[in-house]
Order: sequence, then C-alpha cells, then structure tokens
Amino acid sequence: MAALAPRIHEAPDDLLAAIDFCYEQGWTDGLPVVPPAIDRVKAMLAADSRPPETVISHHPATGLDLSLHAAAVNAVMAGCLPEYFPVLVAAFEAMDRPDFNFHGSTASTGGSAPLLVVSGPYADAIGMNSDVNLFGPGNRPNATIGRAVRLILRNVFQMLPGISDKSTQGNPGKYSFCIAERSRGNPWPLLCEAQGYAKGVSSVTAYAGGGFCNVENHGGNTPEQVLSSVADTMANYGCITLGQTVVILAPEHMKIVGDAGWTRERAQDFLFSQAKRSIEGMKGVGKYRDREYDKQHGEGAHALAEVGFVHRGLRPDDILITMGGGDAGGHSCFIPSWSRGRGSIMQHAPIALPPDNKRS
Amino acid sequence: MQLYSPLSTTPKRKAFRAPPLASIDGLRIGILENGKLNAEEMLNEVAALFVERNGCVVRTLASKSNASAPAPGNTLVKVAQEVDFLITGLGD
Repeated sequence: MAALAPRIHEAPDDLLAAIDFCYEQGWTDGLPVVPPAIDRVKAMLAADSRPPETVISHHPATGLDLSLHAAAVNAVMAGCLPEYFPVLVAAFEAMDRPDFNFHGSTASTGGSAPLLVVSGPYADAIGMNSDVNLFGPGNRPNATIGRAVRLILRNVFQMLPGISDKSTQGNPGKYSFCIAERSRGNPWPLLCEAQGYAKGVSSVTAYAGGGFCNVENHGGNTPEQVLSSVADTMANYGCITLGQTVVILAPEHMKIVGDAGWTRERAQDFLFSQAKRSIEGMKGVGKYRDREYDKQHGEGAHALAEVGFVHRGLRPDDILITMGGGDAGGHSCFIPSWSRGRGSIMQHAPIALPPDNKRS
Repeated sequence: MQLYSPLSTTPKRKAFRAPPLASIDGLRIGILENGKLNAEEMLNEVAALFVERNGCVVRTLASKSNASAPAPGNTLVKVAQEVDFLITGLGD
C-alpha cells in the first residue's frame, strides 16, 4: 500500500509556543523537543542519498513503516544534527531484522531499551563520547541519537507507555541509550572490525538492553579477578537467563586484561564458563526450567556448558565485550538482555557515509 | 511555523474479526501456547472446560519458540486446517 504524504501542521511562529504545540500533539518523551520545521527536516534528509519515502524499518505487530522522512522528523525533534542521521538509520536497519524481534523487545513488561554501540571512525568524526561518563549526559550525539530512537518508537511505531509499551518498570535507557566504543587504548580489534566490515567502515550494534549493572572492582589485578566480578554480575539470580550479554570494560579493567595478553575470545570463554548457577540454586529461587536447561545442554551444546549448571547465554560469542569509559576507576558494566530466553538477538549494520562524505 | 508530523505515513491497516461460531458444541479445539512458564498448563485447563461442557475435542497443541514474536505463518496455516477454533493466551 502506498505511503501517504507527510502531514504538515501549522504551529505558532513563537518557538516556545511551537514547543508547547508539540507537547499538545503527544509527540514528546516528556522532555521538550525541537519543533520539526520543514527546513531542518530537509537538511537532515540530505544526509542520506535515498528518496525520503524509502522504508528502513517495519513494525511487525502494528504494520507501521519507518521511512527516512519520518526518521528525519524525529531526529530533528530529538536534537540531532544531520551528520548523526546515518547512525540512526543504520540502527533501525539493524533492528529491522526479524531476530531482533522489534515488537517484543519494545512492548514487553521486561522494559528493555535498544542500546546502540557505535564502533569505528565515524563515532569520532561526529564527536561521540566513548570516554568519561560514557552512559551519562553531556554529549550531544550520544544523547540525541539515543533519544531519536525512543521518539521513533513512540511516534512512528506507536509504542506508547501503558498502551502498547507495557514495561513493568522500564529503565532509564528508554530516554536514550547510545554509546561509542572507545578506540583509544583498546587492545582488541574494534567491534566493526570483528564484525567483518572493511577498513574504515563503521558500524552500529543494536541490543535490547534490560538495564545497567555497575561492576566495581578496585582490588583485582588479574584478568581472572576482574572478569570473575563481571561473571558474577552476569549470573546474579535476578539477571541470569539464556539471553545475550553486553559488557563494557572500563579502561582500568581492560588494561589488566589486555596487558596479560588475553584476547576478546579468551575473555568471552572465561565469562561464559564462570557466569553460571547450579540447577539446585536455580530451583531454589524458582527460576529453573527443564526446557531452558535442555536448550543449553542438548544437541549442539557448547563444550564449556557444564553439566548441572545453567550458564548465561548459549555460548561464549553471545557475549559482546569491548571497552568504554574514562581512564580512572574500576567501574565496568554489564547490560542484561531483555527477556528470559532468546527473545532478541543483537544485530549490527554498517553506517553509510553522508553523500557529501565530509565525515569519513 | 510549519512542522512536519513525526508519525508514520503508512496507511492504517484494515483489521477484520473472524465471524463468530454459531455453536461450539462438539468442535475441534487447537491450543497455541507461547512457551512461557505455566502457559501450557493454563491453556489445557481452559480447553478441558470446553471438553467437559461442550463436548469439544482437543486436536492440536502448537507451540511458539519465541513468546513475544508473532506465531509463524506456517504454524497458523497448519492449525487452521485442523481445528475449528484456537485457544491462546499469555503464560507466566
């Protein structure tokens, strides 16, 4: 069915009144938005060479499409600059894949928010923060790209709190949940390289994140000590599931791991083997299910899956690990996945450079 | 000031309800469980009431591997050929 022409509203010329107008339309996340004036939307659209009506994402339950035009309108409202737009577009192209399970992860009581991890030179080119206060406020691209995701979920896909978004508690990432991978001092290949993209191509990884768990360890001096703290957090009784994992190691922790010669793969193996709970323990808290245990230990089970234990995830490469944050502090984090099972699988997509190619 | 709407430009879908059954007595029941804790148990209890009260017959138990994703099209096509009505619901 052909898309309708984008609707134009007549709003007051006074900027504050126009902001109020946006509130009255129900277009905001609770915070003021930049009124999506036509010239600003056109400037945003210039960052993608395709026609504005190009559909980049589809919501399976509502049947609603996200066009480049609608994405641009919401990007303006979130406060994005045009050079941020390719990241937002790539994020929705990644989330459009069926395995991400767009509907479930945005509607569920689990209350997840799409975490975006931007990797590669484009993150630096547009001034993203991968450093101190990584998940906190203060950086325009991190804050507004993440916010644009939420506005699109609300305005385009109509995932409205209490109506179609049934999050029991939600999480603060539902306002904005977007970071850059830190390349400075990172001993491992960047995610975009590990994902197989050509040199110079940046990527965005989308993950249905169920919150944020700080992992504090200022006393550990070996990879085993540091990563055991991470594994314990991954396997706490509140978080352990068959789902995937995101771990962002603080530079202090990464230095300990990297200086010891540990690769990303070795760290993944260690975390997978250590992040586990016994069957008895899982039964003790009412979270044990035969079906889930069999999925982890049945045909095709990973060699590190220990009999009698429920591990987090199905295999080591379910764990995304990279580095981010400021130089000081033994504070890494674990981002639990949405859903008890494998409801959403993280996806990544390349970031297409804007047509003017100024930001390569 | 002219502002673009931030809403989707997709035309609204037309949704139709299936016509109501004239009677459920003696009909074939399908169960579609979503894999969540207690879903199968709860739906079987519901189906048992139809069996007891209306002489229905339980013909099919279909499962979803992903509770929050739509049932696969081939699952629905298969079930539709085997039953007269389907019971489904959330478990947890």
